[in-house]
Amino acid sequence: MQEAYIVAGYRSAVGKAKRGGFRFTRPDDLAVDVIDHLVKSVPQVKPEMVDDLIVGNAVPEAEQGMQIGRMISVRALAKETAGMTINRYCASGMETLAVGTAKIRSGMAQCIIAGGTESMSLVPTVGWKTVLNYEVAKNHPEYYLGMGLTAEAVANEFKVSREDQDAWSFQSHQRALNAIDKGYFKEGICPITVNEVYVDGNGKRATREFVVDTDEGPRRGTSMEALAKLRPVFAQGGSVTAGNSSQTSDGAAFCMLMSEEMVLALGIEPIGRVVTAASVGVEPRIMGIGPVAAIPKALGQAGMKLSDIDLVELNEAFASQTVAVVREAGLDPEKTNINGGAIALGHPLGCTGTKLVVQILHDLKRTGGKYGMVTACVGGGQGIAGIIERF
Amino acid sequence: MEAVMQEPKSVGKTSSRKIKKVAVLGSGVMGSRIACHFANIGVQVLLLDIVPFDLTDEQKKDKKQRNRIVNDSLKHALKTNPAPLYDKTTVDRITTGNFDDDLAGIADCDWIIEVVIERLDIKKQVFEKVEKYRKEGTLITSNTSGIPIHQLTEGRSEDFVAHFAGTHFFNPPRYLKLLEIIPGPKTNPEVLDFLMGYGDRFLGKTMVLCKDTPAFIANRIGVFSIMAIFHLMQDMGLSVKEVDALTGPISGRPKSATFRTADVVGIDTLAKVANGVFDNCPKDEARGLFKLPEFVNKLIENGWLGTKSGQGFYKKSKNAEGKKEILALNLKTMEYEKPEKPRFASIGAAKPVEDLKERLKVLHSGKDKGAEFLNRLMYSVFSYSSNRLPEVSDEVYKIDDALKAGFGWELGPFETWDVLGVEKCLKAMKDSKLEPANWVDEMLAAGCKTFYKIENGQRKVYDPQTKKYVSIPGTEGMIILDNLRGNKAVWSNSGSTLHDIGDGVLCLEFQTKMNAIGSEVLEGMNKSVEIAEAEGWKGLVIGNDAPQFSAGANLMMIFMLAVEQEFDELDMAVRMFQQSTSRLRFSSIPVVSAPHGLTLGGGCETCLHSDKVVAAAETYMGLVESGVGLIPAGGGTKEMALRISDGFRKGDVELNAVSDTIVNIAMAKVGTSAHEAMDLGYLRQNLDRIVVNGSRVIQAAKQEVLDLHEAGYTAPMERKDIKVQGRTALGSIEAAVYAMKFGGYISEHDAKIAGKIAHVFCGGDLSSPTKVSETYLLDLEREAFLSLLTEPKTLERIQGLLQTGKPVRN
Repeated sequence: MQEAYIVAGYRSAVGKAKRGGFRFTRPDDLAVDVIDHLVKSVPQVKPEMVDDLIVGNAVPEAEQGMQIGRMISVRALAKETAGMTINRYCASGMETLAVGTAKIRSGMAQCIIAGGTESMSLVPTVGWKTVLNYEVAKNHPEYYLGMGLTAEAVANEFKVSREDQDAWSFQSHQRALNAIDKGYFKEGICPITVNEVYVDGNGKRATREFVVDTDEGPRRGTSMEALAKLRPVFAQGGSVTAGNSSQTSDGAAFCMLMSEEMVLALGIEPIGRVVTAASVGVEPRIMGIGPVAAIPKALGQAGMKLSDIDLVELNEAFASQTVAVVREAGLDPEKTNINGGAIALGHPLGCTGTKLVVQILHDLKRTGGKYGMVTACVGGGQGIAGIIERF
Repeated sequence: MEAVMQEPKSVGKTSSRKIKKVAVLGSGVMGSRIACHFANIGVQVLLLDIVPFDLTDEQKKDKKQRNRIVNDSLKHALKTNPAPLYDKTTVDRITTGNFDDDLAGIADCDWIIEVVIERLDIKKQVFEKVEKYRKEGTLITSNTSGIPIHQLTEGRSEDFVAHFAGTHFFNPPRYLKLLEIIPGPKTNPEVLDFLMGYGDRFLGKTMVLCKDTPAFIANRIGVFSIMAIFHLMQDMGLSVKEVDALTGPISGRPKSATFRTADVVGIDTLAKVANGVFDNCPKDEARGLFKLPEFVNKLIENGWLGTKSGQGFYKKSKNAEGKKEILALNLKTMEYEKPEKPRFASIGAAKPVEDLKERLKVLHSGKDKGAEFLNRLMYSVFSYSSNRLPEVSDEVYKIDDALKAGFGWELGPFETWDVLGVEKCLKAMKDSKLEPANWVDEMLAAGCKTFYKIENGQRKVYDPQTKKYVSIPGTEGMIILDNLRGNKAVWSNSGSTLHDIGDGVLCLEFQTKMNAIGSEVLEGMNKSVEIAEAEGWKGLVIGNDAPQFSAGANLMMIFMLAVEQEFDELDMAVRMFQQSTSRLRFSSIPVVSAPHGLTLGGGCETCLHSDKVVAAAETYMGLVESGVGLIPAGGGTKEMALRISDGFRKGDVELNAVSDTIVNIAMAKVGTSAHEAMDLGYLRQNLDRIVVNGSRVIQAAKQEVLDLHEAGYTAPMERKDIKVQGRTALGSIEAAVYAMKFGGYISEHDAKIAGKIAHVFCGGDLSSPTKVSETYLLDLEREAFLSLLTEPKTLERIQGLLQTGKPVRN
């Protein structure tokens, strides 16, 4: 078995769905731009040297359909470079890195680009055509429960108050704004130039060009009072609001994975590696609690303890589940989401896992840490946890 | 030969003048809502108001800030309930602006309506500016309610004066039917002709051509009535709540009766009208009554002006347990108190009487204080009204029309007087020292015993000038079923009447309480089709002039049978309902429904099975059976499944349309206008029609019957190609219903009902999308309906509605 390394990783800024800079940018186009930037950053690698492209995507239909992985590989890399799409909902972007790493370790590939792309502007979370199984709907309707309601269930069952949720959310925004102001994300973000064709005020066709290079989610004006005023959106008398849920977003992120052999041959300095990743199923009704099961499993696989982990990126699907996971898994809030999370920065489903890996590699470098963990809850009742080592 | 009254020549017709764009100057409560009503009927509107006075130099450059007043007013209007727009999207027809920057835009307008503050100097300033930009020939009208029209045009050009009139809308202008037109001294008759015709057909209003007298007609007499009540109640020691009990629906007045109406209108507004009459009508024989009683002055002093200031004669508050309660003002102590339920023997006796005219007679013959109050009130209103001829109007009917359309009275003063007996009341009035006008004596002397009479299906009115009965102009194009009562009905039973409405067309009128559909009405439907087919009638209109087209099926019988567990009988009853609506659909003659007002449940299903529907714009349509724990089973669920199926195009994601419709039925959604009913699919785009004036729907429906007949009408056959989704959609819908319940938005029983609706709509648990027949779906409807009737929670809902009139959530 040979080791697999991360040699480079980039992400786009995260756009606000439907309102932000990527609101009409196709997810395949966004991915092509990020991969282009990524490949150029490793000049020793020619596109055709990449064996496979693995694209995470949570709703692979419409603009994200037609096996988007291949459609991206043929454009961004080479005809010879294969491409596939992987869907583990919100864990997709972590899972593609795990699969790529496993393939290289087992000798099935030398160089793989893995990541994820998602446009929540263009494709709704449940897709355009939802056809649920009648028998399941009748006998186990909770398997199909919407994510917001699972967040309510977690809030109820793990007793996470509205105040705790809002406080976490407020902190998420403050931390994210601090990171943006200090430029912590700059290095990891690949600026994207967007060309827009639109109808102007006079009813005529017009074009404009702009660059998106900063995460659009964080709100400077937010306050505990503003958050407290929001109404619950998923349940009557509930506690989950638009303010303490993750934002819908657009984004893409990719990492180049390479075998030890190829790294040595090309004289490349790796920046890190995926030590291990573990997925695990939980009760679908409380899917948000998934990381509580996944974290020990991943640590067990790696033979590590939680105390070995320097930083944690816990995807903030909802503040209720984030707070519950921090408590139940015994995470240190000061080491968790130090630059805010999806409540402030957004959650472009299939892209999120890779985006967090790119982010944590930079944060580990900046803070002098070695091991990081990227963990997320997953729709349908799962958790994922990946352990990342920074070199 | 009978006399023809002096009226504009072509009332009821429209001229070559066309209205594409109107300017509304002033965006207050009336201005913004008048703008909305023009947008409702498809007209472009330029709505202007002043630039705010308090802008900083920086803000003065900002168009948004400059238009702040007008934009805020419009935004506020759109949020009010009942909604000023038929359909929210039509707000795009309104462009906003301000007087300083955008007044030039009025040059493109065909009609300019001034609705600025009620001050002569300000109105005159506005008109002076208008004159700069207004194109010659453009209509210019003022919505003043108090300023004499002739004063407004002083100093204006000849063309301006010739095209100027008062157009007095009532609040809320979409809903209140009255539009008073007040000519100035030099208004061109063509302008009046046009306004009278346009207001009727395009704006849907009851038009009353007034004279330029203080407060015009409706406010003059309507406010007199209120002032008379204020004085009378003090005299007789009655409370606010007692007066409202007597002057509400029991006596043919609106639900808001006297004091709730005053609160809604604004006590200051009311006082303004009263003061106006007091100041400007020195010869008014009842002028003293227009002097505000002390308690009104006190209310105004306290700033208790009614709804707009949170309290007036009534005040909403919370009791010790935090429950909402409504307190009424004690006029002696000026304290708010929890009102006691008023008890009057006369009300008790009148309450069970369904027919208003009969009810009024019962009240009239009562012996208690309540009856005495009402009689004294009626006499003084009768007398006052009679003395307003010829001062405010030369015609009797205008006064009745104005009060009905402007104040929501079911019968005007002269109509009520007719009911109670003209001669008898006249004598009683004289005995109580009232001095009604002499022309009433003359009328009786001439052998005319009533103010109105029906002759050959036409309603005629007594004309004091010629001392003869004359026809009422402007109503020629309307079919008014009340006027046909003298004719022999083609057929009738206790709950419905089949009228001959001319030209070979029949009209079935429902005549039950709230026009609920029970076995008599169903018999009426079947009999109407049978007669039309057998006797060679051209077709059938289903319509009526009652306030509501039909509130739905009669639940009483269903409830009794369900309680007694008579399931065979229930099955028969549902079958009968389904067969009746199917009979309408498959008859060999065209059937056109003419709904207006509430058109719910079975009423809606009646329309769904008609060949065509001509709906009044103010039609509130919906399948609301879930509210009583049931599903639409008179073919309504089937019909909506059919319509959705017909809308599918190859490659569509069919689930979306299916689930939207199921949600509408499960949530008992009711369209707040005919336009919304179209969005909900209860009316069909490009097939069913909407008529703005509800008084014209029967006539329009009759025309549709004739057109369908002329074009060669062939009865449709049973459809066997309705595409239903089976499990393909049921899974997603079941999961969505579960989620609604999980989120606490619906109860367990709501979820059960929604599941039943989905089951019928999807054709049951079929393995794949399948084409099925109408009969197949009707069977599923019936099965679901009967199964829900075995549920105690459904029976609780029905019982609750029958007892309290309010839906039960369980």
